[in-house]
Amino acid sequence: MTIILYDFELSGNCYKLRLLMSILGVRYDIIPVDFYPGRQHKSDWFLKLNPLGQLPVLVDDGLVLRDSGAILAYLARKYDPSGLWFPTEPAQLSEVLQWHAFADDITATASAARLALGMFYDFDLPKVQAGAHRLFRLMDEHLWFGEREGRDWLCAAPHPTTADIACFPYVMLSEEGGISRMDYPAIRRWTDRVRRIPGFMVMSGIFPAGRAAAE
Amino acid sequence: MTLSTTDTTWYPVASSTDLPLRHVFHGQLLGRELAIWRADDGNVNVWENRCLHRGVRLSIGINEGGELKCQYHGWRYANRSAGCTYIPAHPADAPARRITNTTYPVVEAFGLVWSANNGAGEFAPFADAEAGDWFALRPVPVNAPADAVIEALEQFAFAPADDDFRAETVAERLPGLGIRMTARSVKGSSSAVFFVQPVDAGRSVIRGLLEGTPEDAIERLHDHNATLTALRDRLERAAARKPAPEPLTPSFEKVSVELSTMPEITIGSALTLRAVVKRKWATAAGITAFELAALDGNHLPTFQPGAHIDVHLPNGLSRQYSITNGPGELLSYTIGVKRDLASKGGSEALIDSVREGDVLAISEPRNNFPLRRDTIRTVLIAGGIGITPILSMARFLAKSNLPYELHYIVRSQDQIAFRDQIDALGANVTLHIGLPRAAIAETISKTLGAHSFAQHVYICGPGSLLETVRSTAADLGWPDEAVHYEYFRNDRVIDDSSAFEVELARSAMTLHIPSGKTILEVMREAGLQVSSSCEQGACGTCLTGVMEGTPDHQDVYLNASEKRANNCIMTCVSRSLTPRLVLDI
Repeated sequence: MTIILYDFELSGNCYKLRLLMSILGVRYDIIPVDFYPGRQHKSDWFLKLNPLGQLPVLVDDGLVLRDSGAILAYLARKYDPSGLWFPTEPAQLSEVLQWHAFADDITATASAARLALGMFYDFDLPKVQAGAHRLFRLMDEHLWFGEREGRDWLCAAPHPTTADIACFPYVMLSEEGGISRMDYPAIRRWTDRVRRIPGFMVMSGIFPAGRAAAE
Repeated sequence: MTLSTTDTTWYPVASSTDLPLRHVFHGQLLGRELAIWRADDGNVNVWENRCLHRGVRLSIGINEGGELKCQYHGWRYANRSAGCTYIPAHPADAPARRITNTTYPVVEAFGLVWSANNGAGEFAPFADAEAGDWFALRPVPVNAPADAVIEALEQFAFAPADDDFRAETVAERLPGLGIRMTARSVKGSSSAVFFVQPVDAGRSVIRGLLEGTPEDAIERLHDHNATLTALRDRLERAAARKPAPEPLTPSFEKVSVELSTMPEITIGSALTLRAVVKRKWATAAGITAFELAALDGNHLPTFQPGAHIDVHLPNGLSRQYSITNGPGELLSYTIGVKRDLASKGGSEALIDSVREGDVLAISEPRNNFPLRRDTIRTVLIAGGIGITPILSMARFLAKSNLPYELHYIVRSQDQIAFRDQIDALGANVTLHIGLPRAAIAETISKTLGAHSFAQHVYICGPGSLLETVRSTAADLGWPDEAVHYEYFRNDRVIDDSSAFEVELARSAMTLHIPSGKTILEVMREAGLQVSSSCEQGACGTCLTGVMEGTPDHQDVYLNASEKRANNCIMTCVSRSLTPRLVLDI
């Protein structure tokens, strides 16, 4: 029984899965897909795996899965015995899914800006940058009040969930899309907390945070 | 109003709550980016957001509690001074002290962190600030010029609480882009102050303080955030209709070529500081500790673990003492002085005649005993008073969570110095109390074990212990470069019977050195300015390059392989085996 991740090293969406599997201690193999400049995610062989032509794809024991948010939910339900990473209690589940959707909005803006600047994609750069700032403002406000209300993570639960994993990568990579996080101090503190989750791993452009102060 | 990059007004740049421990805040004032971080001792640092090495932002660096580490090549900078303490590419060297980042003035007051350009006067709190109890609102960044923001705030319908909407509000300008709002209603009056942080020509942050902590704090924070956010949206719509102002262009000092390549040798600083004895206490039997602070209350110069200072004594002598401090502890240096009846009177003078409040002349720290931070295993061995540099090393390694073990050899329990600090290091410390002389070699041998890659040992203590560790380590296969030590003094009998010629290549001078006189003495008689300190071949201050001839090494500063290389000499004790010696001086 093996897990295979069809992966592009510089993809934040692929990194979401590497990150959660690293935290959960799940072993997996990687098949590299040359997203840029090779555009292999639009090649015939890849479209047979995912007709949408999008990364990542994860194959677990023959089961083919697509969409990073859906795969995060799958991995958490299947490989996290604590059940904390993707809760099933209705209110909590809905809250996590709201942030999964928010993460997709971050992908559509912050990641698009990064693709435009770094991989020459044809996006309306000022528009996607402004869109990312709009989302980051909401997120910073949510996290700033969270700090005062005793909430460290995006969801109300007293522990991180896949919501945090889903939103984290393209927030951290935003500067590659010309989107400064200087105006979002609460987001910057939250990224420290995510980077201190045991089992955290880095990717290109995402640096470690160093240790927390001793309690 | 036009913003100026040279404006020296104090502005708030962060909230106190923006700076939890082990975090680096990313700020900006008048176009200049800032890395703002709180050290574990509570001190807030406001630095230029640029590593001196390759210009990478320090705001993405790692706050290690007493030092900030650049994410790119790992250069560490000390809390308070921003002096460089370690360069991973030169792990065996002490960085030059002049590698120091640009710092800005900082005051933390009323829940805000205030800063200004260098050259600013004393921080003056806004009127009646100190009488009030201030509650910081959520800062609101606005993409609009500061003058537009302050004008809008002046018209701002401020209501301290939601049932005060019928209050009459009076706005009064404060110096430094501030507004005081006082709302008066039948229920009484309440007030708030708002400051505009000029981030850049077209960007600002509104930082508000409510007078008094409200009972329903979270609700009040939400209310004020909502009204300020609405104000922000209005300001941004108005700003978007105008052409965007040109961003400010602060000037930056270029990093010198030497700084961005190799650290320079740190030997030979003559600068003297005046330090006040803040505290003097008996830290162990026969050992007196002195805490020395700057006269003006500012921080002292950057030091690295293993560094020492020269203390100029009331009786005219000068002596070297190691700094025991941990990383980023620059408000004072703590040294330990052992009463030594055999000495020339250095320790006696300090212990008997210097009192708390006295002022001493000390040198800037110098480091002949640098600590590597790239090891798999670091063994620290201290004997008696030799604990002083070793304690500093242990505290640096502990703060960075690097593996180390400290072996402290003392004759009896009451000789353990700096007990609190030793205890704080916990299980990393092994005390060896009252070891019989004959058992020392065996203990050292067991402790060291066979050498393997990236293991280093640092020893400080009496000459006999040093010799034991050096010979034991050599027997166990530890190479010279893995065995680090610092001599307090040279116990060897100096043979000064030889006579020879010394040619000073750069000074174009040839001197005759007769028997009974040192090279150093003759150079000084000839009018040369040469630095020296211990004058017994132990401290390394008078180290001089040798271009021709074979030195007769009599010092204890150079190690065996350095001596074999014959390319440098300690002019205070060493002489020449050849009739002529050419020095690079």
